Formats: sequence, C-alpha cells, structure tokens
Amino acid sequence: MPQTRDIAFLTGIGWATTHGVGRGGANRDFAMEPGPLPPLSRKDVFDEPNPRFGRMSGYSKLGLAAVAFALRDAALDRFDARRPIALFAGSQLGSLSTDRDYFDTVLPENGGLASPALFAYTLANCFLGEAAIQFGLTGPGGVITEGAGSDGLGALRMALEGLAVGEFDAVLAGCCDFPVVPPLPGIETPLPGALFFLLEKATAPSGRPAYARLALREDDVVLHDGTPASGLAAIARTCLSSDQHPRGSQP
Amino acid sequence: MNGAVVTRAAVVTGLGPDLETTWARLLAGERAVRPLSADRFDAGRYTAQVASWIDGLESAGGRSRLFPLLEMLLARLGPVPADTRLLTATTKGCVDTFENVRRGRGGEMADVPLSAPAEWLASRLGLSRPGLNFNAACASSTAAIARAAALVHSGRADAVLVVCMDLVSEFVFSGFSALQALDPAGCRPFDRDRAGLSLGEGGAALLLMSPEHARREGMPTLGTVAGWGAANDATHITAPARDGCGLVQATLQAISKAGIAPADISAINAHGTGTVYNDLMELTAFRTVFGGRALPVHSVKGAIGHTLGAAGGIEVALGLRSLSARTVPPTAGFREPEIGAEGLVSASAQPVDGDYLLTTNSGFGGVNAALVLKRGEG
Repeated sequence: MPQTRDIAFLTGIGWATTHGVGRGGANRDFAMEPGPLPPLSRKDVFDEPNPRFGRMSGYSKLGLAAVAFALRDAALDRFDARRPIALFAGSQLGSLSTDRDYFDTVLPENGGLASPALFAYTLANCFLGEAAIQFGLTGPGGVITEGAGSDGLGALRMALEGLAVGEFDAVLAGCCDFPVVPPLPGIETPLPGALFFLLEKATAPSGRPAYARLALREDDVVLHDGTPASGLAAIARTCLSSDQHPRGSQP
Repeated sequence: MNGAVVTRAAVVTGLGPDLETTWARLLAGERAVRPLSADRFDAGRYTAQVASWIDGLESAGGRSRLFPLLEMLLARLGPVPADTRLLTATTKGCVDTFENVRRGRGGEMADVPLSAPAEWLASRLGLSRPGLNFNAACASSTAAIARAAALVHSGRADAVLVVCMDLVSEFVFSGFSALQALDPAGCRPFDRDRAGLSLGEGGAALLLMSPEHARREGMPTLGTVAGWGAANDATHITAPARDGCGLVQATLQAISKAGIAPADISAINAHGTGTVYNDLMELTAFRTVFGGRALPVHSVKGAIGHTLGAAGGIEVALGLRSLSARTVPPTAGFREPEIGAEGLVSASAQPVDGDYLLTTNSGFGGVNAALVLKRGEG
C-alpha cells in the first residue's frame, strides 16, 4: 500500500439537512437522508439580524448555513480581520433550482421581465461568495461537479491537495445540493442538504480539538484516521459517534 | 522549474475555429461581436443585440451546441494519454438544452448537470478516470488551470487536460441585460465611455504536463504556467472590490509562485470586460502591484466577447501565443483611455519585451485568479 502522511486535522463540522441544522460540538444527531428540507430562516443560522440572508436563493441559504455551523464549531465564525481560508464544495445540481425559477421569469414577455435578483444566484458558486462576505474568507474556492457514480469526495480531495502543496493552511470542504421541486424529469436527485468540514493543515497545528485526521493516498483514496473513506456523510457520522471517536487534541 | 508546461492548445472563438485564425484576426483588430443570428434567440427586448457567436455551431439530435464545440476543439487537440486527469470549466454547460426543455421543445436533460461535458469528454478521449467540472464563475478556467498546474508541479499528476467552454445563451444574455451590464455598441474595455460587456461563446483545451513527462512523450512545449494564485475579495456578490484587494492578492501569489518579481512581468492580459467597475478595479490593482510602470495591458473581450467559464483558458492559449510572437494584440473597441489606462492599453498591437505575461480573471462571488505564463523555448 502506498505510504502517506496526514494532511489535515478535521476541526469543525456543520450541516443543514432534512433533519435540521447542527454542528458537531453542540449536536451529534447528524443524518443525511432523503426527504424535504425544512425552510431555513435567518434565526436558524444567525443570532444577529442579517439583511442578506432573506434575499438569497434556497441553495445559497443551505450552503451558507452549513458553512456557518462548521466555522462556529471550530470557533472561527467571528473575526477581526479577513482570513485566507479556502472553500471548496461539491454539488451535483448546483443552482439548478434557481436556474429554473430565473428562466421562468425570462419566458414571458420575451425576456422583458427577467429578474436580476434571481440571476445573481444562478451560479453554482454563489453561496461561496456569500460565505466569503459573511465570514471574511479570502482563500481560493470553487464548486466541483462530479459525474454519476462518483464517491462525492472530489471537493475534499481538492482541499487536501491544496493543503498538501501549501496553497493554504485552512479550508472548508463539503457538499451542497438543493433539490428542484417538483423534480425535473431526467435529472437524478442527489441526497438533499449541505455538510461542511473545517480542515487545518496537519503540519501547522492550531491547537483546536480535532475530530479526525485526514490524508490523501497517491492513488487518490481519502483516508480518515487511516481508513479509506466512503463519503462525506460517513466521515461525519464516524466523527460524531463520540463513543468511538472522542474529539481529541491535535498532537 | 516551477509550474507545468503546456504541450497542446486548441481554441475556438467567434473569430475562428482554431488558435491561429483567432490570433491572426485579433492581430488585425477584427471583432466577432456582431448582431445575434436569428436562429439563436430574439434579443429585441434586451438592452443589447450583439454578441460574439460561433458561425455554424448547430445542435444535432436535440443535444446541446456544446458538443459540436467540443468536437471542434478535439479535432485540433490531438491524442491525449489515457492516464491524463481531466478538469472541465464551464459556468452553465448545456444551458441551451435546459432552455429548450423549459420551452417545451424537448431535450436530453441528462446533459444539464455541469458534469455532463466532463463525462462526455472522458468517454470520447478514452481516459482511464472520469473528469470533474470546476466552477468559479468567470474565473472558472483560470482557477482550473491553477489547480492543474499545482497538481503537476507537486508531482500528484503527470498530465492534466483542462477543457473550458461556455455558450451564448438567452439565459445568460437576459440576466446581464436585466443587470444593465451589456454595452449595446459592443464592449470597449478600458475606454472612458465603456458601457458594459459583450457576451461571447468559445472554448479551449490545454494539456499541461511536467517537463519530464512532456519530454518522455515527445511533446512540444508551447510555454509554461509558471505561477498561479486565487483569492476572494469578500466584498460583494456581483461587484468587484473597488480597491482590487482580491486581484492584488491573487497576482502577488502568482508572481511569488513563479519565483520572479513584479518587474519581470512584461505584459498583462487583463480580464477587461468593459464594465465600469471591473475595468477600474483592474487598473487599481495593477497600479498597486506594478506602480507606475507602463507595461502593455490588453483585453480580448472587445473582439471575442466575454466567454465566461472559457475566458481564462482561451486567454492562456492567446497569452502563450503573445509571448511567442512577442506581441500583444490590439484591444478592440478601445478608443479613449480611462484614467489610469493611458500608456498601458492600446487600439494597436504592442511589443512584449520579456518572457513573462500575467493573465487574470475575476467574477461573481468575489473570485479572482491570476496566472503567470512563461515563454516557451521553441
């Protein structure tokens, strides 16, 4: 088996799923399952008034909520100066739900009623921008879309590669999929919800408690505490199973 | 040596079906930005009626125009090693199929997810692993090339193929019209009277390798992606930070990664969309990094429009061509310089006195990405 070194400590977990919102340190009742997503209000995510949140698309609210809880879990949600934290997300559908809503404003009147407010949210990376503004994140970022049958770990691999080659010292990596309702025929519906991890470079420990160690083998297999990972949700479930894996100190 | 060498480059734009035609017509100051073909969509209700579109790009069998565009690229790319990694960069993929389905005209909805072009390409090229799409708005392909160069440079990959693409669609056209961001006269980058962007369609395919792998494969070296950087300005969803902080950060990262100093950069391919705020932001950022140095700055978007997710890849291919020819092409549409653009931007071709060119792109969501290109030895 190829030799590998730990690349990252996983120090924050946040989610917004069909079971509600949560973060690792406060709520271990994590599940990512089919079903309707509960509506997200500003109060579900932020204590203080947030004039932007109400204007966002459902996809952006979902992704931003999970990012917010992951940062809060690592006590990094408040900041005095912008931080070079990177942000990579996997998404099968991206902004497709908003795309449909937007194009429905284009169809009547030959486009004369096209909504600029909706158009601003018709990119898969739109919630990354919202998170960058909200939390002062100046690192690189992007949304990865993998094909059918992928393990959904593309964003996590990209994050680990970036940490390994020194592109950044901390990164949020996860997934976000907001379903189109009613479903569009011919489009496979992934599990709805968003899940994000805060990863910190293993060679520069911050001292924050860590749930797990992550590594990337030369053959691109993601290792979670030395064991091949099967998916993001499986990593979260193992981390949050406190009997097996108490949140411990970084070495 | 830092970075990854570019061994093959294919380009298709509104100016032509290949890199050399696009390059020759750019040098001649020609513009592909022109009234939209009637077979695309009715732009009568929008604030502009022009774009740079690819003549003869037809959909077949109810599928997207994107696939014939990709076939044009592959016809000029040549064979690709089977173990090559694949990264695509598109912001809206087969958006024309999505439009057709929503209009009730039918179409293959399985083409709509942004992974579809990567899956099609991986199969078409016989690659041993599936590709994935990287979306960072209008800096998608610049950021994808940065990821590719980092993978090759670190030894995690021997070869990475980056294929970038986007179409002119009513979906995107109507959105920029609604945002009052289209220039009815065609875009005029860095001109004091500029009034917005023009959309374009196009694509590029770039094969990046380590120098050792390129030698082993007997590949030519068109040039090197020597440095890369990316940063978010964390300011606004649809507007750039006025101080250019994200672009400054990305540019300085790219220059540092290349192991050179700002003084070594001899020309800039700017994003240069022709919107009031983007171009001002870029001039501010370049002034911060390069001081008052009068190095040639140009934008191709007056000629081929803003090709969105394809912009960065097309501009890398053209940037390497600029270094090879020691010339940057004219900035089509430019007449009277914006304050700060005097002596930098020109309506004529400008000589390049050196071996390094900076190319940058920025986009919605605060994204900024920068690449330093080094002239090839050949």
